[in-house]
Amino acid sequence: MWEFFARSLEASTIFTLAALGELINQRSGILNVGIEGVMLFGATLGFIAAQLSESYLLGFVVAIAIGGLLGLMHGFFSVTLGADQVVVGMGIWILGFGLTTYIGNPYTGPLGMDRIPTISGLSPFFYLGLVLVLVTWFVLSKTSLGLRIRSVGENPAVAEVSGISVARTRYLCVMVGGMLGGFGGAVYSLFYNPVWNYNFLMGWGFIALALVFFSTWNPWILLGGSLLFGTLWQLSLNPQLVLPGVMSRYLWRTVPFVTTIIVLLIMASKWFRIRWGAAKPEALGVPYLKE
Amino acid sequence: MRLGRYELKLEKRLTVSGWEAASISILAILFALALFSIIFVLAGINPLLAYREILSYAFANPFGLPPTINRFIFLLLCSFAFIIPFRAGLWNIGMAGQFYVGALAAFGVLYAFGGKVSRSADLPAEIVIPLMLLGAAVGGGVLGGIAGFLRGKLNINEIVVTMMLNFIAYWLVALMIKEGGAFMNPGGRGESFELPASVHAPLVSNVPFTLLLALGFAIYLYFLFARTKIGYQIRAHGLSPAAAQYAGVSTVKISILVFVVGGALAGMAGYHYFAAVPGVYKIARNYGYFGDLAFYGIICGLISLANPLAAIPVALLFAGLTVGGRFVQGQLSIGFGVDYALLGVLMITLVAFQFFYRYRLVLAKGPELEETVDVGVFR
Repeated sequence: MWEFFARSLEASTIFTLAALGELINQRSGILNVGIEGVMLFGATLGFIAAQLSESYLLGFVVAIAIGGLLGLMHGFFSVTLGADQVVVGMGIWILGFGLTTYIGNPYTGPLGMDRIPTISGLSPFFYLGLVLVLVTWFVLSKTSLGLRIRSVGENPAVAEVSGISVARTRYLCVMVGGMLGGFGGAVYSLFYNPVWNYNFLMGWGFIALALVFFSTWNPWILLGGSLLFGTLWQLSLNPQLVLPGVMSRYLWRTVPFVTTIIVLLIMASKWFRIRWGAAKPEALGVPYLKE
Repeated sequence: MRLGRYELKLEKRLTVSGWEAASISILAILFALALFSIIFVLAGINPLLAYREILSYAFANPFGLPPTINRFIFLLLCSFAFIIPFRAGLWNIGMAGQFYVGALAAFGVLYAFGGKVSRSADLPAEIVIPLMLLGAAVGGGVLGGIAGFLRGKLNINEIVVTMMLNFIAYWLVALMIKEGGAFMNPGGRGESFELPASVHAPLVSNVPFTLLLALGFAIYLYFLFARTKIGYQIRAHGLSPAAAQYAGVSTVKISILVFVVGGALAGMAGYHYFAAVPGVYKIARNYGYFGDLAFYGIICGLISLANPLAAIPVALLFAGLTVGGRFVQGQLSIGFGVDYALLGVLMITLVAFQFFYRYRLVLAKGPELEETVDVGVFR
């Protein structure tokens, strides 16, 4: 049971990291529906780098770097060129899905390195995730940088007039968001399940996207949501540990996805809508081009 | 930027003519293929040779051409599943799930008629085949309809919902065809029971009749968008849901309609691949691969600017590239997944080229006036 609990926390850490990146993105008004692609890139290239160099550190550095690059690419298309952000996000997802399948295939199989040690039985990344949630919350709501990010996400034209560079702020956010996505992917492939397999993420990125909507852009609610989905994911993989003999294991695999839809349904209720509408960054997904 | 006597500058387009849009799309494809040759170069293969191998296998080889045509039918139906909602401004990325459920529903019909009992079962083809096709359409349509309803009625993000439904459908297929599922092959090879020979889909000169169906849909959809009231309403909704609503177009109705029809077509692709393609006739063990290929429908729909007729040559090209790509993988010993990599490269090139739908590079100065139409796809 303890192991199930620990594994659930490991899984939720991945959701936390990826969704936190997306939250920062969205707070600045940029929607990236392609986090799954960013995570796949981070996971695959991080895996390859770690395996070739036998260094976890290098693996994570590569993953974070590629995540940041993809974030910048998303920024270039959607901030500088003012493209439709959904098209760009879809592009990054499909690019990640397609290219990592090709790149990673020769490395199919286990990582073959000693596991990263745990800290009092729990994933070290779990503690790191907690710290990052705290830092994100603090920066976004207590600092002038956070105010800048939020104002760019609410009303870029007004922010620009008051002397904030919209483009620079948004680039910063998409880069940090991408880095967190790439890192989350690497935590999956280097720690949670250190085996490379084709399209192994199976929807983690999209669930993380739903989590951000669910969180009303609040890092603490986001943390709660990731804990819920991390546990559900673990349960869907190993239902026999908790509820032996209930439902086929294939039906269990659908549980996180069904739950996501149910959560979105709950969010459609009027009570939630009002709060959601108030919290939503006003300029989310709207291209802003200085005339 | 100055080039000699000329000045190169960017100019904002307000509208794009049909031919301009088409030439941008063709340039995007050519650029993507040029970019993609890096993969061949890295593998130490002359890209021109590789492309010649791919295309000649796909289009001029007696073994390659039938799979290309079957892949084409599948991609075209998946493209429509994307195009129809996209015309209404909605994103259906659930063609994979709709494809799976379509296949399940078709086999469900067959199961109900006792098709599992024996491969030599003599079933009334003229009843069973239309019902299987209808079942596939209903199955895909229902799955699409869920997303359309949630989007239209409750304003829930359709991208997340269709993606979640993809995974749900993926595992439902596993539930049905593996480990004692109702459709499991008695041989237990992780695939479904086989279609009795009596209900193999009719072939028109060795090509499944679904080819005519898909081409017919292309023409029908083209006229639907261009000439009918409902097509006009869908397009109006795509340009501005709020304005359309003001003009009396129901968001709920349009959302459900486009997703049900789109899903139904992806569902029929499920019938096509697992019940009509000669030599398959069962839900294959690697059904997930076909679900992945269904995402080519997104690119095909975007590159053809959501024009159902333009989707025909694009789908044919991509069908050839994926089938031929798989072939040269073995032939030239390149790594696995060339078709996946191409999917990614095409998509990101298209994203980059999206820029040119809104801006043009102009040499010299002086604006020229042209007759233009608004394609209204990339708003």
